[in-house]
Amino acid sequence: MAVSFPSTEYFEALRDRMAAEQEKFRRLGFIDTTFGVRVGHNGKTRNFVLEFEVFELKGVREVDAIDPQKVDFTIEGDAGVWREMIENIHRNGEADSSHDINTLAHFGEQLKVVYDSPDGHDKLYRFMESIQRFFDLSSKLDVRFN
Amino acid sequence: MAYLATRNFLEDKDFVDKWLYTMRTGELDLSWMDAKTEKIKPHEANPRRGLTYRDLDLGSYGFTGVPEKVRGNRSYAPRGAELPEGLPDAQPWVSRKSEVWAFNTESYYEEAVSRQWNVTTDIPWERLDGVEMPETIGKALSQLMTFLTEVEMIATDTPALWLPRINPEFVEVKAFIASQAMDEARHTEAFRKRALTTGWGLMKASPMNEMALKHLRDADSFSEMSVALHLVAEGNVLTLFRFSEYLSPTDVDKRIFRLVMQDEARHVGYGMQHFKYVLENFPEKREVVHAHLDEAENISFAGAAATELTESFIILAGGGLKKENIEEGIKVTTRFNLKQMEEHFERLEKCGMPERKERSKLYQMFEMGKAAAEAAGIKLS
Ligand SMILES: [Fe+2]
Ligand SMILES: [Fe+2]
Repeated sequence: MAVSFPSTEYFEALRDRMAAEQEKFRRLGFIDTTFGVRVGHNGKTRNFVLEFEVFELKGVREVDAIDPQKVDFTIEGDAGVWREMIENIHRNGEADSSHDINTLAHFGEQLKVVYDSPDGHDKLYRFMESIQRFFDLSSKLDVRFN
Repeated sequence: MAYLATRNFLEDKDFVDKWLYTMRTGELDLSWMDAKTEKIKPHEANPRRGLTYRDLDLGSYGFTGVPEKVRGNRSYAPRGAELPEGLPDAQPWVSRKSEVWAFNTESYYEEAVSRQWNVTTDIPWERLDGVEMPETIGKALSQLMTFLTEVEMIATDTPALWLPRINPEFVEVKAFIASQAMDEARHTEAFRKRALTTGWGLMKASPMNEMALKHLRDADSFSEMSVALHLVAEGNVLTLFRFSEYLSPTDVDKRIFRLVMQDEARHVGYGMQHFKYVLENFPEKREVVHAHLDEAENISFAGAAATELTESFIILAGGGLKKENIEEGIKVTTRFNLKQMEEHFERLEKCGMPERKERSKLYQMFEMGKAAAEAAGIKLS
């Protein structure tokens, strides 16, 4: 069944895949971070808060606005950039070397990482491989774009 | 042989007789069964995670109750054990909690253990088969790997050097520092293996880099070592790994840099939490650390500008040695350099040292570099 992006259903579908592939994520280790995802679309934004704990995505919710004090960092970008990333993952089975999160966000030109505390910001890199593999699970989903 | 036992047991008749007596009679001493220690029942706060060091933070076994100045235990007795007469003084250099402690030390260690990885088996080396890179790119990549191998070797030695100096009461810190030494040994392995798989072998060692690295090793106190290693050097290295991942010519290199950056960010995290802890609990250290930072920043400025590093970055970022490649490479590398400095001051400020900017020559250099970059039309993020 197709899930639409952006939506909580999309992240919940990734969460279910993550649970189904527990062995892989256990091997990568503990992931303890809460971060935001902001998707710009037609002058509006959709905001999501993802809370990871131990080896899984414990919760995801859509919010009106992301409180920077309550998340470690937020990855933001226009819907078009997110779409290109997800479609690239779908085609290759994982993000290719031009579409992984660090590359897209590095100079803040495509995706941008915003944060209140550098300690929170560094958590993106502390859990980088788990976060990348989490988004790479999009290859197993049928994603529709709103 | 530096240490001699205070008795020659092999020639001590009473000692040998007692050994034989026990063997003959089966008479046991059993006084240890009455150890005057606390009985507790730890349990897993989160069964998904398992039994953590934090779950053991109970009574006399816990880390919360460790005093600022540890005078009671200078031996290898585990925290919470009964300390009988006759324990040797292991002469730890660091017996003051705020010298080594960090907020959440125990969870940095747990994270380190659960996020270990294996260079031999977790990197898809087979994907390098048939990868052809132009000579300049291959050599620049190998030079970067050569440089990083030097960095990681000192990063292994430095925490390891401090391990025996730390009072065993700080068992969680020792465990974290030991995990860091292991992480850095793995980074050395990763970069050496990648250098040798470029087909160009290793390139050139860097005197400038090694001078900077030596400074990390030779600090007078743990806190000074930590601020120079965990905050200045590894903070820079974390930004550098992110940049290297961004520039990586193959997805194998991307995977390597993503995995090393995870470890590096954890080391920086410990460093930040330690630095905050020092400033809050040992205010007299502030000036000492400022003085150490003066030199650490001087040296990191020089190390980051080492020819062997910057030229390989310029080539990797610009895609070659043509004029337009070099122009582009310089632009991208300058943005990275300035980002590195900016993030350094961001971290110090967040840890409670906002005044660093006023005092720091490196901050002046950052402002000057930013103005020069803007004048040259280099867009900064
Ligand atoms: Fe390292
Ligand atoms: Fe490190």
